[in-house]
Amino acid sequence: MSNFDFKTEVIWESIPILMSGLKLTIIITASGLLVGFFLGAIFGLLKLIRFRPVRFIANVYIETIRGTPIMVQVMFIYFGLPMALGTRIDPLTSAISAIAINSGAYIAEIVRGSVQSIDKGQTEAGRSIGLTRAQNMLYVVWPQAFRRMIPPLGNQFIISLKDTSLFVVIGVGELTRTGQEIIATNFRAFEVWTTVAIMYLCITFVISKALNLLEYKLGLK
Amino acid sequence: MIIQIKDLHKYFGDLEVLKGINLEIEAGEVVVIIGASGSGKSTLLRCINKLEEITSGQIIVDGHDINGKNVNINEIRAETGMVFQQFNLFPHKTVLENVTLGPLKVRKMSKAEAKKIGLQLLEKVGLSDKADVYPAQLSGGQMQRVAIARSLALSPKVMLFDEPTSALDPELVGEVLEVMKQLANEGMTMIVVTHEMGFAREVADRVIFIDKGVIEEEGPPEQIFDNPKNERTKAFLAKVK
Repeated sequence: MSNFDFKTEVIWESIPILMSGLKLTIIITASGLLVGFFLGAIFGLLKLIRFRPVRFIANVYIETIRGTPIMVQVMFIYFGLPMALGTRIDPLTSAISAIAINSGAYIAEIVRGSVQSIDKGQTEAGRSIGLTRAQNMLYVVWPQAFRRMIPPLGNQFIISLKDTSLFVVIGVGELTRTGQEIIATNFRAFEVWTTVAIMYLCITFVISKALNLLEYKLGLK
Repeated sequence: MIIQIKDLHKYFGDLEVLKGINLEIEAGEVVVIIGASGSGKSTLLRCINKLEEITSGQIIVDGHDINGKNVNINEIRAETGMVFQQFNLFPHKTVLENVTLGPLKVRKMSKAEAKKIGLQLLEKVGLSDKADVYPAQLSGGQMQRVAIARSLALSPKVMLFDEPTSALDPELVGEVLEVMKQLANEGMTMIVVTHEMGFAREVADRVIFIDKGVIEEEGPPEQIFDNPKNERTKAFLAKVK
């Protein structure tokens, strides 16, 4: 047995600093996913358009993003793009953009799959009363598809939240980065990483429960 | 003449399901289409509001060539109500919302106006008390009556029924046919694909027998049911009786 002794006071000392990191993690995840959902909705619907060039563009985006690691994507945005553009992109913007672009590609597939899973009879009924293609999507198909998107979206939200921890590579002060910084001064890796892990767990738990609740509420209809 | 179909051909891939259909339907007429499954009768119906693209020929609804270039198909579809075998009610909308969607979004009515029409139609199909429930809480017969009300809400000139009672439990068929009879009596132009021979005999002005994509025989119900001339018609009727 090592004579390791668990120091609870380390946890209490770390919490205020970790909370600021957690706040940034939530900001990156929430703003990234908000934009990512719009990107996903747009590209997911583009994939359903009959005109091939449009589908091709959507496919290029989705395949490129899904086929490369998010860590490479964020380093490309933060270190790579500024060299080409000649302007600095701050770490927070880079982080949010990476989550948005990355989750957008996965959400596009979620959107496409959910929309396609709605029975064709719904569209036939909608069109038969004279709704245009767009009206039919908006009032008939999308609300039903959205309900089916919730479980896979929940998955994606949790994955994206955890992906923000990879952004230590660009030095954005999110939760994992804050943990590293505390350990660099007090060397209490066990206590600090335990606290960090529990904080992630709390947030993912809240996301799961919130989406379950949303699914239940929508399902009551 | 409200509908005119000229030399209609329809292929699914290499399979020719409609082989030159010619048909004219007068306003106020009730036409029942009978035939074995796979004979093309549902496809014919679906071509009339362009749920299926035709391969060649012409379909004129209320003076408009529905496959013409400058035609707004949404306007024509609003004039040709369609009732489906599987009802296809919108499950996320209440019964009343199902009925008022068309008036609101297609006819651009005010909410109050749409609601008034919706409630009138629900009363007509005997479902006033179900206005605020969701389709999942209804029986099949009730769902189909809501679907009829949903189509009627657009005040269509023609109603198309695609095997409206085929998915129903036997004891629920009557209530749907009753609503359809009432519509026929009010002078609605109706084209009904059905296996309900009793309904055809009682309500139809004209019965059309389709076999393998061709109209084999047509005429008043007494003639088709009591004195069919065509051998295929005889064979089909012998099987369904």
